[in-house]
Amino acid sequence: MRRGRILSILMLICVAGGIVCFAQSAGEALRGGRRLQLGVAGSVLFVLGAGAGLAAIATLRRDCRFLIGAVRRMTADGRLKALQTSNPEIQPLIAAINDMVEAADQSVSDAILKMKELEIQLKVATAQRQHAEAIIYSISDAVLVTDTFDDLVLANESAARTFQFDLEGTRRLPVDKVIGDEKLVELIRDMRQSNSKSGRRIVEHKVKNDREDRIFKVTLSAVADNNDLPAGVVAVLHDMTREKEVAEMKNDFVSSVSHELRTPLASIKAYVEMLIDGEADDEKTKREFYEVIQNEANRLSRLIDNILNISRIESGLVQINKQPQSLTVILKEAMEVIAPQARLKQINLVEQLTPVFYQTLADRDMLYQAVLNLLSNAVKYTPEGGTITVQTLVDEAKRKVIARISDTGVGIPPKDLPFVFDKFYRAEANNHMANGTGLGLSLVKHIIEMVHRGRIFVESHVGKGSCFGFELDLCD
Amino acid sequence: MAAKKILVADDESHILNVVSLKLRNAGYEVVTASDGQEALELALSEHPDLLITDYHMPQMSGLELCQKLKQDPATAKIPTIMLTARGYQLDERDTEQSGVARMISKPFSPRHLLSTVNEVLMEAAV
Repeated sequence: MRRGRILSILMLICVAGGIVCFAQSAGEALRGGRRLQLGVAGSVLFVLGAGAGLAAIATLRRDCRFLIGAVRRMTADGRLKALQTSNPEIQPLIAAINDMVEAADQSVSDAILKMKELEIQLKVATAQRQHAEAIIYSISDAVLVTDTFDDLVLANESAARTFQFDLEGTRRLPVDKVIGDEKLVELIRDMRQSNSKSGRRIVEHKVKNDREDRIFKVTLSAVADNNDLPAGVVAVLHDMTREKEVAEMKNDFVSSVSHELRTPLASIKAYVEMLIDGEADDEKTKREFYEVIQNEANRLSRLIDNILNISRIESGLVQINKQPQSLTVILKEAMEVIAPQARLKQINLVEQLTPVFYQTLADRDMLYQAVLNLLSNAVKYTPEGGTITVQTLVDEAKRKVIARISDTGVGIPPKDLPFVFDKFYRAEANNHMANGTGLGLSLVKHIIEMVHRGRIFVESHVGKGSCFGFELDLCD
Repeated sequence: MAAKKILVADDESHILNVVSLKLRNAGYEVVTASDGQEALELALSEHPDLLITDYHMPQMSGLELCQKLKQDPATAKIPTIMLTARGYQLDERDTEQSGVARMISKPFSPRHLLSTVNEVLMEAAV
């Protein structure tokens, strides 16, 4: 460095001297052509100065090349090393560069450390997000998450299915563009606008679909970010259509049961009071009253038995004991029991039964109860002098046995036919024929279909008669 | 003074019998109907002083029967006592507008029914 400076000063002195001499000689020349030697001296000085200048530039260039080379070598392998030089002129520069390099090296390694830390944090966050998403996707309830702009941030498959949108293409779209349900969009918007940080609201909401209407319990929650600022809304929709239906059915059942129980109870209570108050003055009336009380008490007891049996079968509480049974044997036993009642009405009982060796896997007591209910109905709804035919048919190819109980009774109007197995359903037209519980056929259906996995059927023509029957699998 | 005539409508024959006997023993004249339609026809032809009807009946419910009677000037003034197994489910406005004077829920006491009948007839006479 020092040599460069000396050369530069030398160069400046020579060039300046040269210029002065040259200018003076030029002036002299103008005045009379003397002092030519001064001009020559000037020129020599100028040339010397220029030479010194060129030498200085060459030195500078060499130093620069050395520095560039050194820096390039240093960075070539990606690692910063301290520069070495034996040239004392550039020693301070090298020292400064080395300091700078060391500082840069430090901040680079700091940055790398920071980056690695961030990478780990990102991995953890991604894993956490995926975990949270997996949880949300696995929820059978529909989940919609929106941000402070009401854009959809996250939704699960159940939500996509409920509102019929594509899960992939709809993220970050305004929620009202994704779901057509205006009422729900409004609920989400209201929740967001309430500016609450941890509010929660539960509403019942009906979602209209092209297939069916469904009722949802919507839980809307406002969520806050790390800085406790409102971040958006989470809407969870729980489908409670089925629960509602079951609750309604239960309600209907309870109200039907209480009505059905009250009717015989009302008679019993009224007749007992009449007897106590001495309103029945002759023996015949008294006897009539006792009979009414007894019949209604029996009806009440049958009703309770049937309700219990049905609810036991429905809840799966009943003990089922299936053994190979002959349907023919069971039908014969039931016919013997019902024969006295049939005889009272001069009803002709006809049997057309297959041999007893065809067996079916059945709970004997339950199947007997079902058959007895069908036979007792046939007797109730068949006028005096009619005929009841009890028949079994075996379909060897399909491995089925079919029982048919046909009567020549009043028949069931077509409009009532689809409902005869429903609880408490009684064809109005035939209501006066018998004081049934409204549960007998429902119990038969439960026994055949739920307990024995069979099929129940009914055919009927008003005025001609009805045929109730069922089909069960044969067993080997 | 001629005996007051009471029309009783119920699809349960036991109830019909017991109510009729209680009222007859108390000196009333009783006409019975086993459904709403029959009761409507009897109300027009028999001009009863009082109607006792069940709510739950086939063809026509007790409430429909009352509404029909209310619409006809010939029968609009007949006071009514309604028997029902589900009184709590009936809208009070409906029963009031249909001219139902009293509601009695089943199971009921014939004794209580008779005293209610006496009461309602007294009120109607005033």
